[in-house]
Amino acid sequence: MSVRISGFIREAYVVSLRDLRRFWQNIYWLAGQVAMNIADLVIFGLIFRGLVNPQLIPDYIRFITPGVLCLSIFISAFTIGREVGVELRREVTHYLVSLPISRSALVAGRILGGVLRGFIYQSGFIILAVLIMGSPTTEKWVLTITASTLLAATMSSLSITVSTVTRDFNLQAAIRSLVYFMFFFVSNVFYPEKALQARLGSAAPIAYYSPVSMTVSIYRYCFGYLQSVDLFFNLTGLTAWCLISILLAYRLYIRNLTR
Amino acid sequence: MGSLRTLLVIALWDLMKLKNQKVFIAMRFAWFTIQILVFARAVSYIVSQVVLQYTGGVEYYYFYILGVYTTLLYSTSIARGYMIADEFDDGIVEYHLSLPIRRNLLAVGRVLGSSISTIIFTIPMMLVVYYVLGVCNVVIVLVSLLSAFVFSMGIVSFVILIVFSMKSTDLTDIVVGAIDSLLVRLSTVFYPLPVIAATGIASYYVAAVLNPISHASDFLRILVFPEYHLIAPYGPVALILYITGFSMGLLILAIEYYEKRLEAGGWR
Repeated sequence: MSVRISGFIREAYVVSLRDLRRFWQNIYWLAGQVAMNIADLVIFGLIFRGLVNPQLIPDYIRFITPGVLCLSIFISAFTIGREVGVELRREVTHYLVSLPISRSALVAGRILGGVLRGFIYQSGFIILAVLIMGSPTTEKWVLTITASTLLAATMSSLSITVSTVTRDFNLQAAIRSLVYFMFFFVSNVFYPEKALQARLGSAAPIAYYSPVSMTVSIYRYCFGYLQSVDLFFNLTGLTAWCLISILLAYRLYIRNLTR
Repeated sequence: MGSLRTLLVIALWDLMKLKNQKVFIAMRFAWFTIQILVFARAVSYIVSQVVLQYTGGVEYYYFYILGVYTTLLYSTSIARGYMIADEFDDGIVEYHLSLPIRRNLLAVGRVLGSSISTIIFTIPMMLVVYYVLGVCNVVIVLVSLLSAFVFSMGIVSFVILIVFSMKSTDLTDIVVGAIDSLLVRLSTVFYPLPVIAATGIASYYVAAVLNPISHASDFLRILVFPEYHLIAPYGPVALILYITGFSMGLLILAIEYYEKRLEAGGWR
């Protein structure tokens, strides 16, 4: 039994390393993304900060930093879907299913690949967040890493799911963008829940149940922007998102690999 | 074949592709609507009333959605350019070169076709924006469509030039992505020019002033809200002349490339 488990972990690890190698191949894309995210922080700091109502958000740069931290792991974990989509289109999937590894290890490896990409990409932004907001306590570091892992696994799985819905590359990109922007806009990354409440009224809770909002709330607590958050709700919610997304990705990815 | 008829035939090539993009348009429309009705409304809620002195009294929400519509025009034009890049990879360019059509007409036809496709693609989104703004003046709608078309021609020509220079869709993807992000950020799409000037960063200000996206969005703002003219550095005539000059200049360069670089696989 333990041999089977260690075999499974090793197989998943090998698959994730392949995804990681491909991640480094797009070094210019990576550099561009990092530059853009930092530019966003600078522009928000320089310009938008002065436009925001201080009674609603006293310091916008401290408000947005955990949001950017969340976006960084979200964006990079989501890139795995593009790879999976390209593989389906170019029928690299035939090669993947011919490998002497189990299908479940293959799926686990792809999701793990997305999570690792997320962590690598986010590490620079974590340093930036520490510089801007100070370092969290050890307990809060554990909480931050847990939230990052759950969100990265959720986004990695979701992007695999949406990329396997269709073989049409443009449609894949459109669905991925739609899902991406849904999470991006309907969340508390750029504005507090109060703004959503004021603008969306009874529809505001949609943002409250978003995995992105849950992660941002945890980050804001860990980096000291918020004094308290409902940790049980946010962690349970994130775990539920993660499990459902992994299950969906597993089902759809396997279906597309074998059909 | 008469030149006009040739142009029409080439432009139809691009328009025909729209038929297969209904789902894509629907999704883009959904995403744009969320951006307008959720993101823009929530962001404008947290912006203080101080911003009114920088927008000539125009509400930030209205200022913002016209900016977002301009970025949509820009990104859709870029996407049409990508399609041309895909054709290069798929070898369709050889087929086009074998047609009994002059190279300059081929270039103009592709740019026209892509720009018309962009306008058709973005019409549902434009209607949402004008509905939210309460615009029902036909002249304003027609002038804005015309300016959007001219702007789109410039961007499509620009992408074609990049595709020729990069000679690889992957590299084009990265370069255009980087230029895309920079151009949108260094423009007046999200912030009015006086706010950018107040940062004291001269290079940022100059980039925003020279940016064609700034000109296109500011032109639309003056068209819908004449009071915006009070804070814009240039009047509507100067803005539209700049956009026209930008587009015509890039179109001429694109024609030049089609005529001189395409033959004998020069694009590879």
